[in-house]
Amino acid sequence: MKIKLWHFIILILGVIILLNVGMLVNSIEMLWLFLVLLFSDFKHANTQINISIIDYLISTFLIIIIPVFILIYNKQIKILQDKLTFIFAIMTLLLAVTIFAPLTASSNPNFQKDLRVTKLLTPFSTVQKLFLKKNEIKQENNLDYFILKKDEVIKKSFSQDFIFVNSVKTSGSDVIYIQKNKEIKIEKDKILFVEGKPLIESKTFILGTDQYGRDILSRLIYGTRLSLFIGLGAVIVSFFIGIILGFIAGYAGGFFDSLLNRFTEMFLAFPILFLIIFIIAMFDSSVFSIILVLGASGWMSLFKIVRAEVIKLKTKDFFITAKLIGLSNYKLLTKEVLPNIISPVVVNLVFLYGNVILAEAALSFLGLGAGNNYPSWGGMIQAGQSYITIAWWMIVFPGLMLFITLLTANELGRKIEHHFNSRIII
Amino acid sequence: MNKEIILSLTKRLVTSIVVLLLMLSFLFVLLRYSPGDPTQKFISPKLSPKLALKVKESFGLDKPVLKQYQNFLVNLSTGDLGISYTYREPVISVIGKYLPFTAIFSLLSFIIQISLGLFLALYSIKRKGSWIDNFIKKFSLSVYALPSFVIGVLLVYLFSWKLNLFPSSGLKSFDHQSFSFFGQLGDYASHLILPLITLSLGGIAVFYKYLRDNLDETFNAHFVMNLRSYGVTEKEIIKKHVIPNSIGPMISVAGVELGILLSGALITEVIFGLPGMGRLAINAILGRDYPLIIGCTFVAGVLIILSNLIADIVRAKLDKRILKEMIN
Repeated sequence: MKIKLWHFIILILGVIILLNVGMLVNSIEMLWLFLVLLFSDFKHANTQINISIIDYLISTFLIIIIPVFILIYNKQIKILQDKLTFIFAIMTLLLAVTIFAPLTASSNPNFQKDLRVTKLLTPFSTVQKLFLKKNEIKQENNLDYFILKKDEVIKKSFSQDFIFVNSVKTSGSDVIYIQKNKEIKIEKDKILFVEGKPLIESKTFILGTDQYGRDILSRLIYGTRLSLFIGLGAVIVSFFIGIILGFIAGYAGGFFDSLLNRFTEMFLAFPILFLIIFIIAMFDSSVFSIILVLGASGWMSLFKIVRAEVIKLKTKDFFITAKLIGLSNYKLLTKEVLPNIISPVVVNLVFLYGNVILAEAALSFLGLGAGNNYPSWGGMIQAGQSYITIAWWMIVFPGLMLFITLLTANELGRKIEHHFNSRIII
Repeated sequence: MNKEIILSLTKRLVTSIVVLLLMLSFLFVLLRYSPGDPTQKFISPKLSPKLALKVKESFGLDKPVLKQYQNFLVNLSTGDLGISYTYREPVISVIGKYLPFTAIFSLLSFIIQISLGLFLALYSIKRKGSWIDNFIKKFSLSVYALPSFVIGVLLVYLFSWKLNLFPSSGLKSFDHQSFSFFGQLGDYASHLILPLITLSLGGIAVFYKYLRDNLDETFNAHFVMNLRSYGVTEKEIIKKHVIPNSIGPMISVAGVELGILLSGALITEVIFGLPGMGRLAINAILGRDYPLIIGCTFVAGVLIILSNLIADIVRAKLDKRILKEMIN
């Protein structure tokens, strides 16, 4: 039997669901409590909602809906029936990990605690989690229930509930824990006891930690999110600029054509990385402006393709007929031009996607990324540069992620190109 | 024919100048309307407002933007790019200090890219279908997907730290002066090996890919089979017929690549701490040194346009059909 794409997708999603059953149940409970809160106490519900809650809820919703959807509709959607190739597998994995980042990341990307223990841990190193007694929160109304549930579900960037230690000993009335060769006594009544023993969990950092003791795997997962999102946004911006300017230049001809050509030549003569850095350094370095700038610096090849194709199409009979019928310019572009030039455009966009991701990583490598709120691959490599002699994993893993993503994007572009071209030849 | 060539060259020159002017004006407007004040760095709060105004005056920033633009155009027409704010020197002489390194460095890298790309492509096309051809093909795809900063940082880790073979940054050692002439050359070489590898690997992969595809196409062309049937030696076919016929698209790519290289290999320069145009431009941007930003962009723009022009001339030289196309 052939392994098809949808088998693999179901497998991946199934693994994610199995690993997070408890959390999913909690998340659904949180949703229920939120709905209760929404109808009973609208004012407080309004203040409680934020991006991370929505993120968690959407992830929960999608991970339940998507497998059901695929199981029902896999016959109708053609691409799901394709044979599983290496590229598809990597792409699915990247997308699944990215979309369900709240479920796949084991901790908040900015989570840091007990630096003495967690700083610069090698991959697969294990530390102990010693749980502390929580202050009992009174549960009086719906808001309290909701907040308690929320704390259980959402991975926060700081937690008072436990401490990271290397090992724990109990001697008499005190508990002694060791944090990097230093023994510290702690009173028994501060620690959470289960069945007469202090509650200890071990935590493994699969890809190690960085200089602030943050989990590199979680940072990579959230970094994937940022990279793919910026790439997608920038490609869409480039697409619109390239298509619209190319259509105007090719369709109008004459003065507009030569003006837009000079304009494009100007952008081509700019050292483009300088232009990007210039605008980001001078104006603003939010995610949104990075998307805009990267998008505005990659449309030139698309412009050339669209312009050349429109000039060719302009003399074709069907185009002239469509014009004579009285189609508006917008209709001409979307109904007549776009379907005819979609194949070179798609190939170009996929290659552009790889370039944009690379450019974003290069920017954050230079310290001009979207700030410290979001982990990004380039920024992680830049941080790792200072610890290169003691912590190779800080550079190798983000570099590997970048490598895999770019390889997949390039390979995908080549595949699509081949697909379209082979159809044309036959 | 000659007259037409000159005519098309002048036409190209004029459009290039227009494009450059457009670019500089665009940059000028962006600079004047960007937030932040370049004089802030040179004024301490203790300074009297009068003196602060004087600093602004000495930078020529007190006049209205239109007047500034007029001055800028007049100065540009006399070849004067202004005085750098941070270096307090004419921009031209600042760039003059950094450009030679970038020129030598990028030309070296360019030669390595072209020659290794050509060599590998020929080597693998002669063994088409063998494991070594497949290996080089796969390997070049992987190298192409490796960002230069990852390569650079890993090279530093491997060769400078683990093996301690090459220095990790800078252009010369501390005791550079005490060496003999050849010792100094060797010193430069050992400092430049890692940056050159970092800068060149991606380009080699690109050239290899373009060349191998084109060579493959040409090798299957009918005229090559015809030549073979006449008994022309394989060496001669490759040298006289296959390479000139398949090198065209690569030359255009090479022109673009040369332009990018000459405008400064920013990432490589940052990793290895080299004094090149890329870092000069970035420092100018981060220091809000307006004349220097414009100067760097101007030089980079000229170099990019020139290298594209050279690539077109070489193509036209190789293939008369392209010359005709260009004239029309």
